Amino acid sequence: MGRRVDEPSRLHAIARYALAIVLVALALLISLALQNSFGNPFWFFFSVAVILSTWFGRIGPGWLSVACSTVAVMYYFTPPIHRFAVSPSDLPYFVTFVACEVGATQLISWRRQTEDALRRARDELEVRVAERTVELKNANEALLKQMDEQRRTEETLQATRAELARAARITTIGELTASIAHEVNQPLAAVVANADACLAWLSRERPDLAEARAAAERATEGATRASDVIARIRSLITKATPEKSPVQVNRVIEQTAILAQGQAARNHVAIELELSPDSPIVLGDSIQLQQVILNLVMNGIDAMTTVADRPKTLTLRSESQGSGHIRVLVQDSGIGLTEEVKSRLFEPFFTTRSKGMGMGLSISRSIIEAHGGRLWAESNGSEGAIFQFTLPSEDRPSA
Amino acid sequence: MKEQDPIVFVIDDDRMIRDGLQSLIRSVGLRVETFASAQEFLGAKRPDTPACLVLDVRMPGLSGLDLQLKLRDDGIPIPIIFITGHGDIPMSVRAMKEGAHEFLTKPVRGQDLLDAVQKALASDRALRQERREAHEIRARFESLTPREKQVLELVVEGLLNKQIADRLGMSELTVKTHRAHLMEKTQAESLAHLVRMAEKLKTATRK
Repeated sequence: MGRRVDEPSRLHAIARYALAIVLVALALLISLALQNSFGNPFWFFFSVAVILSTWFGRIGPGWLSVACSTVAVMYYFTPPIHRFAVSPSDLPYFVTFVACEVGATQLISWRRQTEDALRRARDELEVRVAERTVELKNANEALLKQMDEQRRTEETLQATRAELARAARITTIGELTASIAHEVNQPLAAVVANADACLAWLSRERPDLAEARAAAERATEGATRASDVIARIRSLITKATPEKSPVQVNRVIEQTAILAQGQAARNHVAIELELSPDSPIVLGDSIQLQQVILNLVMNGIDAMTTVADRPKTLTLRSESQGSGHIRVLVQDSGIGLTEEVKSRLFEPFFTTRSKGMGMGLSISRSIIEAHGGRLWAESNGSEGAIFQFTLPSEDRPSA
Repeated sequence: MKEQDPIVFVIDDDRMIRDGLQSLIRSVGLRVETFASAQEFLGAKRPDTPACLVLDVRMPGLSGLDLQLKLRDDGIPIPIIFITGHGDIPMSVRAMKEGAHEFLTKPVRGQDLLDAVQKALASDRALRQERREAHEIRARFESLTPREKQVLELVVEGLLNKQIADRLGMSELTVKTHRAHLMEKTQAESLAHLVRMAEKLKTATRK
């Protein structure tokens, strides 16, 4: 009910004033009836009317009820009766009555005002809280949308990155293809040359079967070599996608050293390990990393075959670098690198060996780069070479 | 085997190709020598006979093109048949510019190679013949006295004995004597023959 009184509409204002008049009229009727029955005037009913008018109608209707009550009391209950006058003997009584009415109205209206102010404040607070809640909700929704968008962007980025990596790999493979064609073409050329020779020996006036057979055997050998090359390339390409998992670099180096031990012993090469004590971890494909290290080790051993005047030592070293990288070095005391060789080392099919395919270092570099690292070579002072690569290191697992 | 038997040098780092080519060329009765690298070829003794070179472009160490330049710089004229895996144009252009006889791509058809070899040998034979002739002519011309050489030059220019005598400040008779000597020494059968020989010598020297 209080809430409805608060609403400042004209209809309500009229109703509030009407209420005041009705209450005063009611008080007048009750007082007259009681006076007729008991003789004593019951003025306090007017007080009740004033209090109720003020309480429900606020200050305006309050004053109206005070005025109406005063007039009614003056006319009906103070001698001279039925006249708008007060006898001097009743005057103090009458004044006290009016003063009480005025005081009550004043006090009640003040109380109501305070209450109203409080309620308004509370309502306002509620409104503001509601507004704030809406704002918060909106902000929350926006945030969620943003997060969603970010996640989608990240997914797109991930896909793009994967696409890029694949493209890069295809490019690298593409670069190799021309040279691979050469590598397959080489045995094919041998097949053709020997097959033609075989035919030539057979179509002589007196066919030379021994020569023809030897040529045919070489042709077969060439065909076998061609299929070997193809098999090697196929395994290379199918293995091209690195499966990355945490890899203990030192363990890979140790395993590689064991694999290379036989070859090293045959060539009187001593393999020395100088491994980083904090056993660094990288995210990568352990098989591919092992291929890279093994390739460098085999190259190093090969580079020392002709060395006679100094110990043949191959050193495998791992180091943690401050910048979140680890470095692996393969150092030999072999024939070393001329500037010319050094500048062409990583070209596909560049080789200093007649038996070499010339793809090892080029593929090794592709693998290391696919792992986010770098592979390069340096001369080791006057004797030998140092091949080294870096890889971004992972944080040590807490276990 | 006669010294004049032609010989084909095959240089390829791939043993199977080397053996195949050798067998193929041998099957038509030609003499073949094989080498695994350009260095090996340079280190070997080469008999003085018509020859040609079957050369792989891509080899470890000295490449086929490197060897071509080295032979040219060393003044060893020998026709070269290049064999290449992928005959890329700049490389073939370079090789042909430097006087490659033929440029074949792998895998080479036997008949193509044999044809190229025969042509190269014929060309080398002709060149050698030319060189030998030039050499002989030069030897004969070298045997002339300074005076006879002077007379020869003017004779070849087409001057008459009288003009030569005037030019060199000698009697016409002396010129006639010199002329008879130089015709004899150079084994010239006629004036026209003498002029041809002098021309050949000039061409050979320019080469």
